[in-house]
Amino acid sequence: MSGGSFLWRGAAISFRAGESIASALLRAGERDLGADGAGARLRYFCGIGACQNCLVSVDGSIAESCLTPASDGLKVDPVEAVHG
Amino acid sequence: MARPAEIVCDALVIGGGAAGVSAAVELARAGLRVELAEQRASLGGAYHRQPSGTTATTSARGRRQWLRLTAGLAHFAIAPRLRHVFLGVDTDGLGLLDDREAGRVRTVRARALVVATGAVERILPRPGWQLDGVMTAGGLQMLLKETGEAPPGEILVAGNGPLNIALAADLVRLGRPPVALVEAGDPAKNLGAALRIATFPGLIGEAARHLARTGFAGTPWLRGATVTAIERDGARLAVSIEDRRGGSRRIHGDMVALHDGIRPNDFGLPAVSIGEPIVVRAGDCREVLGIRGAEADGIAAAREVMALLSGTALHRVAPEVSRQRRAQALLAELFRPVREHDGLRHLPDETVLCRCEGRTVGELRAMLAGPDPIGLREVKLNGRFGMGVCQGRFCADAVGEIALAARPDLAAGPLSRDRWPVRPVSIAALAAPDESRGE
Ligand SMILES: Cc1cc2nc3c(=O)[nH]c(=O)nc-3n(C[C@H](O)[C@H](O)[C@H](O)COP(=O)(O)OP(=O)(O)OC[C@H]3O[C@@H](n4cnc5c(N)ncnc54)[C@H](O)[C@@H]3O)c2cc1C
Ligand code: FES
Repeated sequence: MSGGSFLWRGAAISFRAGESIASALLRAGERDLGADGAGARLRYFCGIGACQNCLVSVDGSIAESCLTPASDGLKVDPVEAVHG
Repeated sequence: MARPAEIVCDALVIGGGAAGVSAAVELARAGLRVELAEQRASLGGAYHRQPSGTTATTSARGRRQWLRLTAGLAHFAIAPRLRHVFLGVDTDGLGLLDDREAGRVRTVRARALVVATGAVERILPRPGWQLDGVMTAGGLQMLLKETGEAPPGEILVAGNGPLNIALAADLVRLGRPPVALVEAGDPAKNLGAALRIATFPGLIGEAARHLARTGFAGTPWLRGATVTAIERDGARLAVSIEDRRGGSRRIHGDMVALHDGIRPNDFGLPAVSIGEPIVVRAGDCREVLGIRGAEADGIAAAREVMALLSGTALHRVAPEVSRQRRAQALLAELFRPVREHDGLRHLPDETVLCRCEGRTVGELRAMLAGPDPIGLREVKLNGRFGMGVCQGRFCADAVGEIALAARPDLAAGPLSRDRWPVRPVSIAALAAPDESRGE
């Protein structure tokens, strides 16, 4: 897999091969991942799928951004925007 | 009878770190049909995670271990199932794996499960630890390993234990020395423990290399000091630090990495069972023993499974495991925090305790101060502490500690951590009809 770009809130974020969505967002300075359904803020924390604080919507389904590999053309949004 | 979607095997190993891979290889060596499930897109776990960049952050000894383990997988033609998240065991004893690539849940009929899900970091609650830009040291290390570079901005590393020094050394190597390394212990003063650690040459060598690198980069190493608060200051973070004499200072940064040790990631897992499906645990998720202990423990777990499958009980003995247990105890002594532990009494009421639902220390204290007798069960159910999506991984210990400090009469015992579903599973994945789930 090579690098490319995905959409975050509709804007292109570039990523490198082997990088997670969370990593690419952080390199782009995007730390605030929005709010979850209950209104709590989401952000990167543990990096290993344990805290569940980094959930995003990836092409419509909710997943941990730290575990999900970035890939070309994905549509990534805050959870609230899709499932609010 | 097996349904078409079912994966049938002798043993399902969950977790592709050193412990899981060594268990899988050992089981295959004995002729068992093995499935290995890993939630990430690559194997390696906390230590051997392969960087996509160019920096190799493990030691030569570590790299040899990983070569040995992956050679074993190749030899026995074990094809790991990557991006498969283990969800739990259903009422029929079938393992459930969420195949994130395909977007569907697969069921696994296995006679035995080896759970090797690793550790989670222990992060003590501090005011401001919920802010974005604050992450665990392991979370930051994961980013370094993934990209071979650190995210932009100045970084402060704080907490307790040897892994913070390893992270600081990694940052130095990447040309991004941290603005400060804040350490609650004073390993430079604990000479007795340091001398005994010298009997574990691997450990001392690695630590010395890390320290030298950090020192030469001019990073202030504040020992016997703790972070008392993190606040937003414009676009940056202001970190308040208290030294052992009560003196305080503030240091600014863009990111804060916190880490106070590691503990088994044993939340929401099926109970250990000697009847089929047999369930055993291996590696850090059973007991935190470091990278060498993990490989040995994986082998020990595999042997235990084989003994149980053949109807004999086996007392798990592994000399390397005992040795690494001693090493871990010495490390804990070396890094013992300078200040007496106070049951988190120092935390201001507004400190967020539960990161998932924003519940605070004050809310917990208010609950505990009520006139009626209260147990941890009420704390959980009525206070919603430990009820968030992380299943209490990052608050259960602190909740228990604060509760016991406030109410020594409280029914002891940990906040139960057996609630599932564990993870986000798309409804579509669960609802996918069996036929479409074919192999
Ligand atoms: C942040 C951090 C830094 C460390 N640094 C060092 C160091 O410098 N030196 C050292 O000797 N040791 C270090 N350790 C300890 C060392 O990494 C561990 O002892 C070792 O990795 C344990 O191996 P393991 O296989 O038990 O667990 P891990 O290596 O953690 O592997 C567990 C695997 O299980 C997977 N997993 C978890 N849950 C699921 C699920 N539900 N479904 C599917 N897969 C799942 C994870 O993705 C992971 O790949 C560190 C540990 C941590 C947490
Ligand atoms: S950062 Fe904790 S689950 Fe992703």
